[in-house]
Amino acid sequence: MRLLIVSTFLCLIGIVSASETISFRHDVMAVLSKGGCNNGGCHGNAHGRGSLRLSLRGEFPDEDLLALTQSNASRLLRIDAPEKSTLLQKPTLQIGHEGEKRFEVGSLEYETLRQWIAQGAAADPDDAPTLTSLEVTPATCVVEAPTDHFQIHVSALFSDGTRRNVSRWAVYEPSELNVSIDAHGRVEALRPGETTITVRYLHLQAPVQAAFIPARADFAWIAPAPVNAIDRAVFAKLKRLRMNPSPRCDDATFIRRVSLDLLGLLPTAVEARAFVADPHPHKRAALVESMLARPAFATRWALKWSDLLRNEEKALDEKGVRVFHEWIRSAMAANEPLDAFARDLVTTLGSTYEAPPANYYRALRDPTLRAEATAQLFLGTRLQCARCHRHPYERWTQDDYYQFAAVFDGLGYEILENERRDRLDKNQFIGEQIVKVGMERELKDPRTGEPPAAALLPIPGMPLPESDPAALDTLATWMTAPENPLFAKVQANRVWFQLMGRGVVDPVDDFRSTNPPINPDLLKVLERELIVSGFNLRHLIRLITASHTYQASAHPTASNAQDERNFSHTIARRLDAEVLLDAIHQVLGTQPTFSDVDSPLRAGELPGVESIHRNRKPKPDEHFLKLFGRPARQLNSDLERSNGTSLAQVFEMMSGRTLHRLLSQEGNALTTMLASELSPEDMITALYWSTLTRAPSPRECEAALAHLQAAPNQRSGLEDLTWALLNAHAFLLRN
Amino acid sequence: MRRSTACRSFHETSRHRRLLLKAGGMGLLGLTMPKLMQGAAASERVQKIAPRAKNVIFLFQFGGPSHVDMFDMKPDAPSAYRSPHGRISTRMAGMEINEHLPEVAQVMDEFTVIRSMHHTMKNHNSAAYYALSGHAPPSDDQRLRDTPDLYPAYGSVVDCLAPSTDPALPTFVSYPHTIADGSRTPGQHASFLGKRHDPLFIPRDPNKTNFQLPELSLPEDLSLDRLQQRRGLQQLIDQQSQLLDHAAEAKGLNDYYAKALSMLHSPRVRQAFDLSQEPASLRERYGRTTYGQGCLLARRLVEAGVKFTTVYFSRSIGGRSKTDGGWDTHGFDNTRMFPIIESYHLPITDQTLPTLITDLKMRGLLDETLVLWMGEFGRTPKINKNVSRDHWPQCYSVLLAGGGVKRGYIYGASDAKGEHPAEDPVTPEDLAATIYYLLGIDPNAMIIDTQDRPLPISSGKPILDIIA
Repeated sequence: MRLLIVSTFLCLIGIVSASETISFRHDVMAVLSKGGCNNGGCHGNAHGRGSLRLSLRGEFPDEDLLALTQSNASRLLRIDAPEKSTLLQKPTLQIGHEGEKRFEVGSLEYETLRQWIAQGAAADPDDAPTLTSLEVTPATCVVEAPTDHFQIHVSALFSDGTRRNVSRWAVYEPSELNVSIDAHGRVEALRPGETTITVRYLHLQAPVQAAFIPARADFAWIAPAPVNAIDRAVFAKLKRLRMNPSPRCDDATFIRRVSLDLLGLLPTAVEARAFVADPHPHKRAALVESMLARPAFATRWALKWSDLLRNEEKALDEKGVRVFHEWIRSAMAANEPLDAFARDLVTTLGSTYEAPPANYYRALRDPTLRAEATAQLFLGTRLQCARCHRHPYERWTQDDYYQFAAVFDGLGYEILENERRDRLDKNQFIGEQIVKVGMERELKDPRTGEPPAAALLPIPGMPLPESDPAALDTLATWMTAPENPLFAKVQANRVWFQLMGRGVVDPVDDFRSTNPPINPDLLKVLERELIVSGFNLRHLIRLITASHTYQASAHPTASNAQDERNFSHTIARRLDAEVLLDAIHQVLGTQPTFSDVDSPLRAGELPGVESIHRNRKPKPDEHFLKLFGRPARQLNSDLERSNGTSLAQVFEMMSGRTLHRLLSQEGNALTTMLASELSPEDMITALYWSTLTRAPSPRECEAALAHLQAAPNQRSGLEDLTWALLNAHAFLLRN
Repeated sequence: MRRSTACRSFHETSRHRRLLLKAGGMGLLGLTMPKLMQGAAASERVQKIAPRAKNVIFLFQFGGPSHVDMFDMKPDAPSAYRSPHGRISTRMAGMEINEHLPEVAQVMDEFTVIRSMHHTMKNHNSAAYYALSGHAPPSDDQRLRDTPDLYPAYGSVVDCLAPSTDPALPTFVSYPHTIADGSRTPGQHASFLGKRHDPLFIPRDPNKTNFQLPELSLPEDLSLDRLQQRRGLQQLIDQQSQLLDHAAEAKGLNDYYAKALSMLHSPRVRQAFDLSQEPASLRERYGRTTYGQGCLLARRLVEAGVKFTTVYFSRSIGGRSKTDGGWDTHGFDNTRMFPIIESYHLPITDQTLPTLITDLKMRGLLDETLVLWMGEFGRTPKINKNVSRDHWPQCYSVLLAGGGVKRGYIYGASDAKGEHPAEDPVTPEDLAATIYYLLGIDPNAMIIDTQDRPLPISSGKPILDIIA
């Protein structure tokens, strides 16, 4: 005890005295982490580096002790001559080290390792105190210029009641590159902005959220009155950051925005012009209300959930995909509460044709996949890392992983028929299956070779139920309970993400202490509203779309232009593949064509993905959807859909088969327009409204007229203008 | 919209590192790295690995060529094993190869042959994914699904970490097939790195007279001039919306339109894909086959500055035809391996491969261009009941030339019958590390997957011994 206190004191003043006892677990392990030695890119790699392999981020100190002391490279530790140990010579570059210099001769790191070796490179005594908790202050810190730094204090609490200042030994990892942090935890701004710093000491970690705010001497808070609790939460943060929200968008932008977001459809010129002309003061709310009642609203969410639930033909077959899609669509149309919806998915057994939600499990063919998907979709928790090692940024251990997977073990399939077209493809199923529990258990913990006992995830603040954790009913009740600290937040955050383009927690399915919400109060508002409304999706959407935050313009103010995450203004984002394709067809009055589809469908109505992702030559519309990121539905993740822009997409829009064919197609909207009585000016105006939901400016109108006159014929001139409108930022992006 | 962060580790850490070094006297020691950037130290080392190769031409031999009938013949093996083909000596001392490869024999002194490649994947899709990405597949599955949690192709990693500097040129080009064995073989695209790192894929036959890059061929009624006028109208509309002034997404789009137009305007890019500019005699020497002209195209792309070109020998595993298909010669349905490879695979290889090597060398390009010739596995050293051979991942051969590897060198050895490595076993992971190393990319550099996990681009060790 006395020694520990001495050590604390000496560490504080930066001296390592020759007399103290170095603890392997607390001192040496801290050096290995602080030096980055056990990172995944270095000796923490699964194969180690050079001849030394350490556990990733020091997960297994006992193994690391063995690796150091029983290494084949006998010169690693030289108890007779500690300075000659390669453990000291390599990281100080006295001899070659691929990982470069990690610390200096004579540094605290060096002295700690040297003394530990000199003292016999021993393990800690069995009764040595263990680390029980970490206190990191401040948890959040707003630093206003001209101040450009702050200090993080880290205290470690041990099982014998002692407390030790470990600021010098903690590892500091910022999420953004706008700060530098020295060895002692002093954080200095390199440029203004926010960052989350993960502070790690031994096996514990905690986040510090920091914001560095520029001086803005002339800043004055100017904002409209908050519409609801969302705005109050968002504005409070913006005010702290000295940013003003952008003003409200105009009516035309609003109808375009809600139409794309809620229905996946471009507003028609008629709808848009009527809305803009409508003098009613509450017309925005009325518009949202009318959209929530339209079938396209349910279809939009059926597409979203079909993406998330792996609704694809290889595992579910065509009929399965259809009935599953229809079940989701109906649930959304009927406004089934999101908790009941989730419960149906995780508890439904039986025929995948007769009981459509059973397709959730049909798509997830083994217990670990079911556990990973359930955790990620409904609890925003990515367990995958814990399959092989303790989650590096989270609390989850391999025990948690395999015990949770065991909840889904014994679930299986009675395959009534399998008419797979390719008998060699064991991923393909065509025919009815009965999803059942109580089937043969298949899961083994790879570390023991034994089947793990079932247990739900030990979420802090959520008591584990007393009933059988392996019963799916228990799982559903525990998972969807209003008091579950994750379920409602995750669902509310997903709805927010769909409408705003960025989660309050982002990525949207990665909730963890080290990835905190950008605005905790906002997340609380959304969670509370979802719960008190009875998990009512439409209620939450009404609330969000009514807020000033949702309705803010995409034009930044002087103070918020740099902001991308606090919802101070709207960030333009590319339309989803289906929305874009349907918008093009709507403008041109044409229909997309897909394989194996009997009745005409919009891209947004397609139940499955096979026509897009099968291995044969796709039709142009199918090619288009794939190119623009319609996912193959193999991940259960919001992030599988990729709305990133690529050169190939731009070539497709510029000169590819789809758009060019549609533009020049006889009988399309341009044909109709040319056959009408419209003047050139009226044609131009009509095209602007149907594509960009606005009238042309005088300058645009003039240029378009000049182009039509100069063109070899009116048709080709109109095609050019329409091409330009369909390739405009304001068409391709939702803003 | 979310931007791909997959490559952030590389680009931002080098910048970050500079900032760190500037920021404090303690340098790296006292400071720390962002959490997703464990490749920080790694990216520093990138600059330290001198690139030996500027470009890679990857000639992928789908189906699995027989090592014991080509580059690792076993004349002393029992007759049940021994190749029915004879051997000829080559310009590499101590190296004998199949008698049906006389032209290859004349350039053998340009190659390093690795004879101790091995892994455990017996199915084409799993093994080919292994070969194309350098990462072990999650399972040995005949129809391994091409999912976005699998690793990207080598070329996509190169595009992510060390792209071409020329904005008009793609870094990674592949053609003329998407390979599949029942289902699309994984490992041919960028996977979790995102679509912008996908190869420029050309699903066209370079042996056809009107071969052209589809993107560079405008529809008949759309002249470049008309496109330019359209672009003018588009720019006017974009000015009005002002999105370009403040939306990152709009800037990105605008850059791509500018790049696409510059590609359409650039005679250099168009010419790179225009095989008609080659003398007829050279086209004949490469062979008037899809593969032959594909290899010629690869040389033109290297000249233009494309960094990674993958040429797929065949669309399918094949093995039953004397006129097309890959190397999967089991002898099923009364087909027989040796007559098939004698009349198709070996002659086509003998015509094209040496021509490519010689052509690159004559133009002074071989030193900076790594040519990689390999399949997904070898074939059973013991001849089967169909007088043919089956899959054999336990031991097979790979050929490398140029790009800083030794000339006329054999690395590793198989045992007496060619069944297992006897010396210096090499895994696909090691080969991947070697390719990256030769390109000057740290084999331990990190990329970020869809779960935001940092993953090393390779988990093997570069084979330093084959580097000249």
